Amino acid sequence: MSLATGAEVIVENVSKSFGRISALREVSLRAGPGEAVSIAGRSGSGKTTLLALIGGLEQPDAGQIMIDGRAIWKEPRPAQARREVVGFVFQRHLLLGALSARANVEVPLIGAGVHRSERRRRALSLLEEVGLAGRADHLPSELSGGESQRVAVARALANEPRLLLADEPTGALDSKTSERVLDLLFRLRDQLGMTLVVVSYDTAVSARADCTITLTDGTIDSANVMLSRQ
Amino acid sequence: MFAIITTNLLRRSARTVFTALGIAVGVAMIVALLSFTQGLKETAAGLVHLGGSDLGVFQANVSDPTASILPDSLVGRLAASPDVAQATPLLLIVEGLKQDQSAIVFGADRAGFFTRGLVLIAGRPPLRGAPEVLLGDRLARSLRLPSGGVLSIHGRYYRVAGIYHSGILFEDSGAVLSLAQAQALVGRPGEVTDVVVQLATGARASSAAQRIEHSFPGTQVITDPQQALRAGANGTLISKAVLVIVVIALIVGSISVANTMAMSIMERQGELGLLSTVGWSPLRVASLILGEGIAVSVLGAAGGLLLGVIGGGLLVGALGVSAYVAPSVTAWGLGRGLLVGVAIGVLGGIYPAWRVTRMRPLRALSAARG
Ligand SMILES: Nc1ncnc2c1ncn2[C@@H]1O[C@H](COP(=O)(O)OP(=O)(O)O)[C@@H](O)[C@H]1O
Ligand SMILES: [Mg+2]
Repeated sequence: MSLATGAEVIVENVSKSFGRISALREVSLRAGPGEAVSIAGRSGSGKTTLLALIGGLEQPDAGQIMIDGRAIWKEPRPAQARREVVGFVFQRHLLLGALSARANVEVPLIGAGVHRSERRRRALSLLEEVGLAGRADHLPSELSGGESQRVAVARALANEPRLLLADEPTGALDSKTSERVLDLLFRLRDQLGMTLVVVSYDTAVSARADCTITLTDGTIDSANVMLSRQ
Repeated sequence: MFAIITTNLLRRSARTVFTALGIAVGVAMIVALLSFTQGLKETAAGLVHLGGSDLGVFQANVSDPTASILPDSLVGRLAASPDVAQATPLLLIVEGLKQDQSAIVFGADRAGFFTRGLVLIAGRPPLRGAPEVLLGDRLARSLRLPSGGVLSIHGRYYRVAGIYHSGILFEDSGAVLSLAQAQALVGRPGEVTDVVVQLATGARASSAAQRIEHSFPGTQVITDPQQALRAGANGTLISKAVLVIVVIALIVGSISVANTMAMSIMERQGELGLLSTVGWSPLRVASLILGEGIAVSVLGAAGGLLLGVIGGGLLVGALGVSAYVAPSVTAWGLGRGLLVGVAIGVLGGIYPAWRVTRMRPLRALSAARG
């Protein structure tokens, strides 16, 4: 696998409302190339919304979001920009139930128009990377929760993203399995050098992250940022 | 992508099958009716030019030309008409042969141009008054019956006096009796099916037809196969029915596909949202949905083609015309069925596909999260 350099993430004074609900207010955040940022905060505090904005899934109402100087949501083809830069891992693995683990990892590569044999080769090497080489032909229903989530991590890495966004990746797993998935994420970050933004309540995550921000009702307690940055 | 479409359809196989089945029924009806009209057309073409005639005089307003009944006294009066060079009556016996239900037995006047146009290739002409029959060469071949053999028509036995070839499919696949014997056999003395006419030199078929219909009320003159088809109530009814069914199949089929797909995208918001987050363009996600719709329809259409070919035969049986109308399945008939099937898929898939491009991935992912 090629060594990707991490993307620089700049979020400046971003606000986002859904109807009358103000999900984010004037949020700013910076992550240098290869940095790991953890986002903590209560349920409903805006963590997922922030992640979606960074990944270009939603548009901010105000403010700027730049990934390596690109504003993904403003690009004419956001889907293409997304697959060139970001990988997503969600709380639920969201694997396609009818497809094998390998085929699930191939899905982003289909979107990128990668040739079949090349897809297969890359998917198998990614599954090996996450320790599931032997499970390539298994259906999601035949995998444990932790294994499914590792397949989802492999899928997120398929397009060799320079930014990996994970939304409560261990939220549905028991503590032992959680640890394994987190080990994987941080090991991959170390190996591949991509920037990592992880949403999690898990203190184990903030302990490993280079910096942690905490969202409270859609705003960041800036003192908290200073404290956690060493 | 193709693999994803098939696995998606397989995953909800019951729903796929029911949707496809609905489409199959529509397509089957179209194919069956088309093969039936095609069969009628071919029959009509053969019937119009029997004996090398220019036109045929039939009873007006019959369900199809073979159901026509005319008095044989008409022949002499027709022959006297200035447009007509020769006229000879025919009595058509359908389903007379057990071994070959589609063979027609022609009761024909010995002296008429119909019988005189049959070229004997074996045997001899029948003896006057003897229970003897002439056999078309195609029928003789398919029944493996040589001249001198015995043929049963409606349970009565006839000696095969000779074998003829006329070059007209219906005649060569049938048999010829004397008119009197045919009338006696079916218990219709004095009645014929139609009178075939060769026109006087210089007479135009269309104007002659008008004059004949005018002079002989209750008759209709058929000069070309298309007209024969229209003349038969079945033909007209069916070509209208095909149009109506195509329209209904398109509407009902595409609504059913749209409904199935709409249900399926609601259930799969998470999955579809995910495709978007991993960088599938809206166009690609939309074509996945459209592809699923088309795949279901093509599946249904394929089943429909098969059902339609079988159904064509059943339809012919149900309408009681199996003796002289063989449903004729043409490539174009099947092609139209398939075309309707694909059109159903495209029409039904467009709206859900468009809906998918409007879905916001985050919304979709949250919906999946519950
Ligand atoms: N698509 C949406 N439509 C309407 N409201 C939303 C939507 N997404 C999030 N919200 C609201 O925005 C707020 C922040 O949500 P979210 O970012 O999911 O929080 P968290 O991930 O921290 O639990 C919540 O009040 C939530 O109900
Ligand atoms: Mg959340």
